[in-house]
Amino acid sequence: MSGLEVHLVGLSHRSAPIAVRERVAFTGEALRAALERLKLEDGVAEAMVLSTCNRVEVYVVAESAEPARRFFVDRAAEAAAHLYAHVGREAARHFFRVAASLDSMVLGEPQILGQVKEAYGVASAVQAAGPALSRLCNRAFATAKRVRSETRIAHGAGSVSQVAVELVEKIFGQLQGRSILLVGAGKMGALSAKALAALGADQVLVTNRSPERAEELARRVGGSARPWSSLAELLVQADVVLVSTSAPGYVIDVAQVVQAMKARRQRSLCFIDLAVPRNVEPRCADLPNVFAYDMDDLEKMVRATHDARADEALRAEAIVEAELMAFHRERETRAALPVLARLRRQAEEIASAEVGRTLETLAGRIDERSRRSIEAMARAIVNKLLHGPTARLKEAVASGDRSLPGAAAALFGIETEELGPAVEGGERAPAPGEAIRSEPVPAVVEDRVAALSQGGKG
Amino acid sequence: MSVLVLRVATALYAIAAGFYLAQFARPVFRRAQVAGAALVGAGFAIHAAAIGLACREFHGAEFFTMRGGFVLLAWLMAGGLLLVEGWRRIPAVGAFATPLILLVLLPALFGAPGRIGGVPTVVQIGLLRLVHIPSAFLGLAFFALASGVALMYLLQEREVKGKHFGPFFTRLPALAALDRLNQRLVRLGFVIFTLAVVTGAAVAKVAWGSFWLWDPHQVVVLLVWILYGTLVQLHHTGWHGRRYALLTMVGFVLMIGSFVFFGALPGLTRHGRDFQ
Repeated sequence: MSGLEVHLVGLSHRSAPIAVRERVAFTGEALRAALERLKLEDGVAEAMVLSTCNRVEVYVVAESAEPARRFFVDRAAEAAAHLYAHVGREAARHFFRVAASLDSMVLGEPQILGQVKEAYGVASAVQAAGPALSRLCNRAFATAKRVRSETRIAHGAGSVSQVAVELVEKIFGQLQGRSILLVGAGKMGALSAKALAALGADQVLVTNRSPERAEELARRVGGSARPWSSLAELLVQADVVLVSTSAPGYVIDVAQVVQAMKARRQRSLCFIDLAVPRNVEPRCADLPNVFAYDMDDLEKMVRATHDARADEALRAEAIVEAELMAFHRERETRAALPVLARLRRQAEEIASAEVGRTLETLAGRIDERSRRSIEAMARAIVNKLLHGPTARLKEAVASGDRSLPGAAAALFGIETEELGPAVEGGERAPAPGEAIRSEPVPAVVEDRVAALSQGGKG
Repeated sequence: MSVLVLRVATALYAIAAGFYLAQFARPVFRRAQVAGAALVGAGFAIHAAAIGLACREFHGAEFFTMRGGFVLLAWLMAGGLLLVEGWRRIPAVGAFATPLILLVLLPALFGAPGRIGGVPTVVQIGLLRLVHIPSAFLGLAFFALASGVALMYLLQEREVKGKHFGPFFTRLPALAALDRLNQRLVRLGFVIFTLAVVTGAAVAKVAWGSFWLWDPHQVVVLLVWILYGTLVQLHHTGWHGRRYALLTMVGFVLMIGSFVFFGALPGLTRHGRDFQ
């Protein structure tokens, strides 16, 4: 190894107050420009910046963390006191945990993975991310996906509007053919109405004491405004009623709801009262087929979700550890890649050339299935022949034996000067034109050749 | 012989129940539901073979005993569950239906098959054998499944409405979906059960000489029939929810309870006995 390691320097909601975070955070063009600058710094091979409202983290593949640290201190001197830094395995662990949303303010929240993917996308676009960061990111994405599907960490509703959606879903299932009524202009109401409309409601009705506000609100949530005086009819029409007015007392009382239920022929009706003080008389919940929730209920549910997620976090951490271990094992065996890659490429080139020639002479006389079995056979021969040497070479490298790779190279006629130092070999991004051949080489073989032929150029 | 085959089928149902319950406990195991359905399918086929064998062994007399009736009921319930699974894969239905099937089957595994005293002469009435008994148990099987779904509804409603978001809240499907499934099963069961009631009256006319004799069994059947008929009608007026689910269960419990009760106290009803 040539001393290049993944270094992470950053600050997050755990280490720094928002006043500091907002001074070092950035988006869009500024982020690209900063990455370009960082990449040009001395000793920085690769770089990536993850910037969200809760964290700013700089990942560099470099000999030291200094460029990453400077990156922060140059922008805001006071950031220095809030920085954390990790290197190598610890940096990878931190990154995996971040991507899996184990380090988020709301455990298991779904946005962070998208943000991490975006950070990687930007770094790739400006060619700041190379093979080492690519591998790290891909593993992190896979880890996050596993955590998501194998634990219930993303389960449940993490915010009030999500809770509202979950409740409505448990009552009505999907909302096709149903309507949502938004009463009042509170911010939570509009937010929840939008989230609920995503369940496929036929229409969103909006009403407010002031018709102008109703119109404006209707435009914002994509609904249609109705006069305040028609509230009684609206209660018959709507299935989900979101209430968030600033009225000091009940806007909807039991008598009204009893009336509405009769006219609705007992179709279920759900009230979500987001107002404090409450706008829906609590006794409404006692009526059959009427469901009513207030802010307390919703917040209780949010808390329950957070508690449940905290329990699941333990299982998620175990997955992160397992993936981390696999990631490092892979990294170690990759050190043997240069010789192996040449060996394999040579074998596969011979195989695919021979297959191509055979297929040419057989052209027209065999069907697609036979063609594929011939290709598969060639692949199998290559794999079986190379399996033993590959395993022993990996073992040798893992135990620090450098003579065997050299001997193998000499034995198979691989020119040693092309091997280069055993550092990180590229796996992604094959050079253009590298793998283009005229023979119908099976895609799998072609991919592998392209991938492995990049080995040793790190 | 048939009892042995039946035990194999029961074992398959039991494993299926295990899979369904595992999926219920940890909804991440989606494949467990598929495995459960496949096992119920296999159990259903073997169960059918057991019933066929029993018919050969006892010449159809088996289904005049409570034991044979439960064997048939469980088989039809398994068929109904397969139907529901194919219809619309609503999670957790299997976790409620399979234990119910096992509960119905369990006494049948240990009772003595066949019937002491030979085949009753009324078996000769083709209507009884071919229409009345199958439709009665098929209708009952649908009521049984409907009751399972109704129980799911009640559990879910308690959590949703009571704002007590326990383990059922996340695992059970939406109230509207359960409500719909319950009503469908009740409607289907009612149509088939009606056939059983009509043919039952016809059989009574032939065997007892009158359509209606105020026999306790007849009274219970009529009550249950009226109850489910009312539920089907009420559905059209928008009636649904908690009370609908409760009444669905009441009807089923009444019917099964009467079978058990009359079975335990012979002499109360002439139904299912040698009528001559």
